[in-house]
Amino acid sequence: MNKGVILFAHNNRQIDYARMSILCAKLANKNLGVPVSLVSDPSTVEWMKESKIFEEAANLFDNIIITHRPEDGNMKNYCDGKNITPAPFSNGNRFSVYDVTPYDRTLLIDTDYLVMTNDLNQYWDVDAELMMAPRYNDIMGIERVGYLDKNISETGIQMYWATTVMFTKSEDTKVFFDLVELIKEKYKMFADVFRFDYRIYRNDIAFSIAKHILNGYQTVKEYNLPDVFSVADKDILHDVSKGNLKFLIADKDRYVAASVKNKDVHIMNKYSIVRNYEKLMELAE
Amino acid sequence: MQEEFQKALDFANYRQTFAIQRKTLKEKIDAKLTYGFNGGIFKIDRSLLNFVEMLIQNNRSQDVVILDSNENPVLVKDLVSFKEEVFDRYFTATNEYFEEYQKIKKARSVESLLEV
Repeated sequence: MNKGVILFAHNNRQIDYARMSILCAKLANKNLGVPVSLVSDPSTVEWMKESKIFEEAANLFDNIIITHRPEDGNMKNYCDGKNITPAPFSNGNRFSVYDVTPYDRTLLIDTDYLVMTNDLNQYWDVDAELMMAPRYNDIMGIERVGYLDKNISETGIQMYWATTVMFTKSEDTKVFFDLVELIKEKYKMFADVFRFDYRIYRNDIAFSIAKHILNGYQTVKEYNLPDVFSVADKDILHDVSKGNLKFLIADKDRYVAASVKNKDVHIMNKYSIVRNYEKLMELAE
Repeated sequence: MQEEFQKALDFANYRQTFAIQRKTLKEKIDAKLTYGFNGGIFKIDRSLLNFVEMLIQNNRSQDVVILDSNENPVLVKDLVSFKEEVFDRYFTATNEYFEEYQKIKKARSVESLLEV
C-alpha cells in the first residue's frame, strides 16, 4: 500500500497558498519521510511560474495535479493579529481528494499546518479507513476554545477538524467523500437541519456531518488523529530562531509571548507564515 | 509603588508564558508516548508497562492479545520485543520531558522561556 501526503493550494489576492504549500510539503517530506502531492489550479500554477517557485515545486512534489479552482463565492475574513481583510476562499473541492490522490493511504493536511515531527507516522497503519482530528487544541488552553470550536452549531453535533484527515481508498471512504460533496452542494439545506451558519462553506462542518451520518447518527468510539494544536489568526508568529517559533498570543487586549519547538502546529495567521517564510524554510532543510 | 506594580505585571506575564510552555511540552511528550502497533494505537503509560511486564513474568509472551487505547483487541505476537519497544519509548520520552522541564523551571524571564 503506497502512502503520501496531499495538499490543496488555490491562491487568492491576499494569501500565497502556493508558497505556503512548498513550506508545508518540505516539512512533511522531511519529517514524515513520505511523498507529497499538490492539488492546484491553472492560475495558481501560472503565479508559481511568474514568481519563480514552480521549478522548486516541480522538484519537490511527487505530483502536481491541476484541477478547476472552485468558484463558489466563498468569502472569508483573513486575520493578521488585529487586522482583518476579507478575500475569496477557495476550499470547496476538498471532497475531490478521494479521486485525485495518487496514494492508497493519504494524509490530507492544510497548507498552514506545519509538520515539525514524525508523530503522525504512528497512524499510517492504524486499522481505520478514515481518521480526523476530533478537537481543536488552542496554544493558550481551553480558555480560548469556544463552543463553536467543539460543535458545528449551538445545537449541533461534534465538530471534527478537517485540518488533518487520513484515509484509505475503499468503498466506504468513497461514500464518505461523495457525501461531503453532496453536503457542499446542499449546504443551505443541511444548515437548516443541523442549524449551523451557512454563510461560509467550511470543510470542517461538511466533514463532521458526513462522519456523523455515516456513523449511524451517533457518536462512536473510534480512532482519531491527534487534536489540532493551533495558534489562532489573531495571534502573530513574531520570529523563528534556533528551531523556535516565537508567537505573540492575543489575550484580551494584550499579547502574551510563547514559543513552539519540535511540535506540529497549525498556524492560522497565514500572513505571518508568509512573513517568516525564509526562516521557516530553514527548518525544512 | 509604580515600580512594584510593574514587577507584578512582569511576573504575571512570566507566569502566563510559563503555563503555555509547560502545557506545550506536556503535549509534545504525550505525542511521543503514542505508539501505533499492528493496527492499534497504544498510549504508553505506567499501566501498559506494568501490564506487559506482569504478562511476561507470568510466561505469557507469545501471541498475546492486548486492548489498545481505543479498547480494541490487538495481537502482539512477540511480547518481549513489544515490551522493549514501549519501555524504550517511555524512557526516551520521560527523560526528554525531565530535561526540558528543568530548562523551563530554570528560565526566570519571558525571554529565556522562549529560548527553551
